[in-house]
Amino acid sequence: MAVLFLSLFQLIFSAGETPSYYSISGTAQGTTYHVHYYANDSLVKKSQLDSILDRIDSSLSVYKPYSLISRFNRSDKGITMDDHFWIVLKKSLQTYRDTRGLFDITVAPLVQAWGFGVKRTDTLPGNKQLDQIKTCVGSRYLKVKNNFLRKTKPCVTLDMNGIAQGYSVDVLAEFLERNGIHDYIAELGGEIRVKGRRQPSGEKFRVGIESPAEDEFENHSIQKIIMMDQGAITTSGSYRKYYESDGRKITHLINPITGYPIQNEMISVTVYAKDAITADAFDNALMLMGLKDALQFTEAKKELAAYFIYKKADGTIADTASSQFYKLMNQ
Amino acid sequence: MKRRKFIKQGSLLTGGLFLHQQMLNAFAGPSAGEKISMGIIGCGDRGSGIMSVIRELDERFVIKAVCDVLDFRIEGVKKLDTDHSLTYYKDYRKLLDDKTIDAVVIATPLSLHFPIGSDALKAGKHVYLEKTMTYNKEQALQLVALKKQFPRQILQVGHQYRYTPLYFKVKDMIEKGYLGKVTQIDCRWDRNWNWRRPVPEGYTDKQINWRMYKEFSGGLPAELLSHQIDFINWAFDTHPDEIFATGGIDFYKDGRETYDNVQALLRYNKEGMIGNFGATCANAREGYIFKLKGSKGTVSLLPHDGIFYPENEARKELETVDGVTGATKIEWNKDGGIPIVKEKLKDGTWYALQEFHKVIQENGVPVSNVITGATTAFCVDLINHSSFNHTIEHWKPEFNIS
Repeated sequence: MAVLFLSLFQLIFSAGETPSYYSISGTAQGTTYHVHYYANDSLVKKSQLDSILDRIDSSLSVYKPYSLISRFNRSDKGITMDDHFWIVLKKSLQTYRDTRGLFDITVAPLVQAWGFGVKRTDTLPGNKQLDQIKTCVGSRYLKVKNNFLRKTKPCVTLDMNGIAQGYSVDVLAEFLERNGIHDYIAELGGEIRVKGRRQPSGEKFRVGIESPAEDEFENHSIQKIIMMDQGAITTSGSYRKYYESDGRKITHLINPITGYPIQNEMISVTVYAKDAITADAFDNALMLMGLKDALQFTEAKKELAAYFIYKKADGTIADTASSQFYKLMNQ
Repeated sequence: MKRRKFIKQGSLLTGGLFLHQQMLNAFAGPSAGEKISMGIIGCGDRGSGIMSVIRELDERFVIKAVCDVLDFRIEGVKKLDTDHSLTYYKDYRKLLDDKTIDAVVIATPLSLHFPIGSDALKAGKHVYLEKTMTYNKEQALQLVALKKQFPRQILQVGHQYRYTPLYFKVKDMIEKGYLGKVTQIDCRWDRNWNWRRPVPEGYTDKQINWRMYKEFSGGLPAELLSHQIDFINWAFDTHPDEIFATGGIDFYKDGRETYDNVQALLRYNKEGMIGNFGATCANAREGYIFKLKGSKGTVSLLPHDGIFYPENEARKELETVDGVTGATKIEWNKDGGIPIVKEKLKDGTWYALQEFHKVIQENGVPVSNVITGATTAFCVDLINHSSFNHTIEHWKPEFNIS
């Protein structure tokens, strides 16, 4: 969603040694990506980024039937992982432990039952059905030996969408850096990674945090702007993917422990961390925790900072942030 | 404003993602209720199409009898009637006399909509009447008056396109102001063929290609453009105040009387809106287009698909930042549009017949009813008057019905 236009200033002064501005946009993983960088030459091409993202899709996209993850889901036993898969799995299992099971990549059958999976459903699940499905949910049913990921129950399936976008942004960032780019901002599906500064001004990059709108057709305005010269920022929100049933809002964020969609005050959580895979791994879990626990959890983790938009008991919307995040906002 | 709107309880159709499922639930209800016995009057292309959808909905409907004046059409239905469960009539009055039939579908040439529809109401039947509701404005007014005498019977008009969740969603988007102020409607329904059906041996052209003849048909405006005209009337709760139309037999000089090339300009005073509705039989490049152009965005519609193109008023704000973090957007398409529905929809007739069943069970009022049907029939009649007589037509006070 990033837009940056060459200012007149840049047009006039870009002839010398001043780095030029480059921008690449495309579609991947069912959403859009944008990369902006400053360099003396166009050091990376769109086709390179597309092919990197394609390879990640071939490993982690549940929407591609040929992907490793789809093959794992169809298999009774498991699969041999590639590097992308292994890195994301390792982070997922670590976050599963850190969040006491709130972040769980085996939640897929529940997400499917509530109608947010690859296939559409026509009816809402009942308690009995959910109890049945929950017997297939739990990262404890995953075992890794060498490069092989084994499932201890055939019905276990994975969905790493909650973390794969963050990881993809990190992979793009690494690729930019390997190609000698030191001032960039990379974004995919609203997950962002930043390094360096705008050129030639030397200002930090400005990242807007989207304010929730009623649905995706409404123009989203910006709630807050923060300045960054390093790190990653990702957002999880209940305001885009949801439907209503009997006056209740059913969101795509399903608690893997209870089996039910979140019913708390949270509207969105924006997480800051050194890399996007970390930020992305925690944002959904923080949504599920509810405001009080999420604030406490964030304060206790040095590597995280978070910003919350939530609904107060009287129905009005408010925001708050962890102390680390306030520091970011006040820079 | 945005925040307040966000927290308020959304409507049934708020969530774009699950529109389809929600609509199914809304229409289908917890139980199907009683099966409705149906008679089909008119078994041409449209009547047969409706029959096949009714057969899909066999928990709600059972077809008891069919009627057509043309033998070969009856024979066509008989081939599908493998268990010989249907009764066949050539005279629709006999079908209406059948007390076991609760409701009829009327899919005849336009000129017969009013006489058969009236007789069906008088015979105590619920009526699913194909669009356009009537051949002219006088008949529309008469049918509105007649319907008032039969408040317990349903009359639903077959503007089926707007029954898909897509069209409900677009109405919702208009009401929420996502399009901003709409000033222009662009609509085309083009083809590059003669719009004729082959005439079997022993039948006349008038029997088969009744759409070519003024005594039976309102031509392209009645048969095609009425759908979109009806949608605009319904979605904006409005009607045009001024109509200018032109047309001619410009390509197929084959003895037809109705125009093969028409264009109608509709002025909506209350909305400050201009509608351009056109159809030709001599170019298929654009086929079906239906665009609603507003100050904040454009909706581009196909019968079962729609894209929203924001005008991007937030651009100025966005220029001040390098990136925006937010919940993941769901697949913007390559030209910057947002798909309005995410999944494949069924044909509009499917949703329309679901509602027909529901309103019969609940003695409700269908969304496409005698009032909206008449409003659209007035528009079509004025368009044909304008193009045949080279006049500018005006909405008349007697058209403001309720």
